[in-house]
Amino acid sequence: MIAQIYFSVFATLALACALYLLVARHPLYGALSLIGTMLSLAGIYSLLSAPFLGVVQVLTYAGAIMMLVVFVIMVLNSSHDHVVPRFDSRGFILLLVPAVLSACLLYVLHTTHPLVDAGAIQGSAEAVSIQLFNTSQQGSGAWILFEFIGLLLLAAMVSAVVLAKKHLDKKDCV
Amino acid sequence: MIDILTVQIIAALLFCIGVAVALVRRNIFFVLMGVELALNATNLSFIGFSRTFSGSASMVGQIVPLFSIAVAAAEACVGLAMVILIFRARESLDSESFTSLKE
Repeated sequence: MIAQIYFSVFATLALACALYLLVARHPLYGALSLIGTMLSLAGIYSLLSAPFLGVVQVLTYAGAIMMLVVFVIMVLNSSHDHVVPRFDSRGFILLLVPAVLSACLLYVLHTTHPLVDAGAIQGSAEAVSIQLFNTSQQGSGAWILFEFIGLLLLAAMVSAVVLAKKHLDKKDCV
Repeated sequence: MIDILTVQIIAALLFCIGVAVALVRRNIFFVLMGVELALNATNLSFIGFSRTFSGSASMVGQIVPLFSIAVAAAEACVGLAMVILIFRARESLDSESFTSLKE
């Protein structure tokens, strides 16, 4: 019962913050409301018996990614941000796309009846890492993906540094 | 007990709001943040459906979002670097001013 109450509070917060992102005037306010969405989603993950993913969500999404976004918004704080109209004038026709998409999704979801399986495992850090680093033949093979994710993150870091650095003159380089 | 159908409906609504933000807003930061919101909604959907399986199959549904979070981190990293590049070239964050291909 108390889980139900927490769930409705988190779900309302997530949807309200997401709707505020749609209409926010300054990108900084939008980023702060997106952080609110991510924190309430972390709470929902914990309620859905995935506490490890909730912690990862807070650390990586609300912590690292949104910190980077807020940092770049503050660095590039252009003075004519408020003069630019918020919405694309022709973009309102494009709103049909998510409207039709949500109608289709809700119709499909309405016809299915997913039920909670009592045998679902509580996703603690131990259970997740046992499944993730299972290198035996019977395992899911997710550890290979884990290695490739490390490579991907390294490539992303190097490309971000190369893209965003200022092009210095050769004589300025020491 | 939390109803999985409610979780999926919330995930669908969040995904559609994210797509709407990415399509309608003109500021390029909002486009990036809309994509992040859509990614978050798919993670919620994965975790909701992972509860409908039993045993180790339910853990697979919790491992896929881990990878998706890592890919989102890489995407945000490269995307923000490109925003900095575009801003240096155009001195603007308005997506309407990035139409040099049209002219």
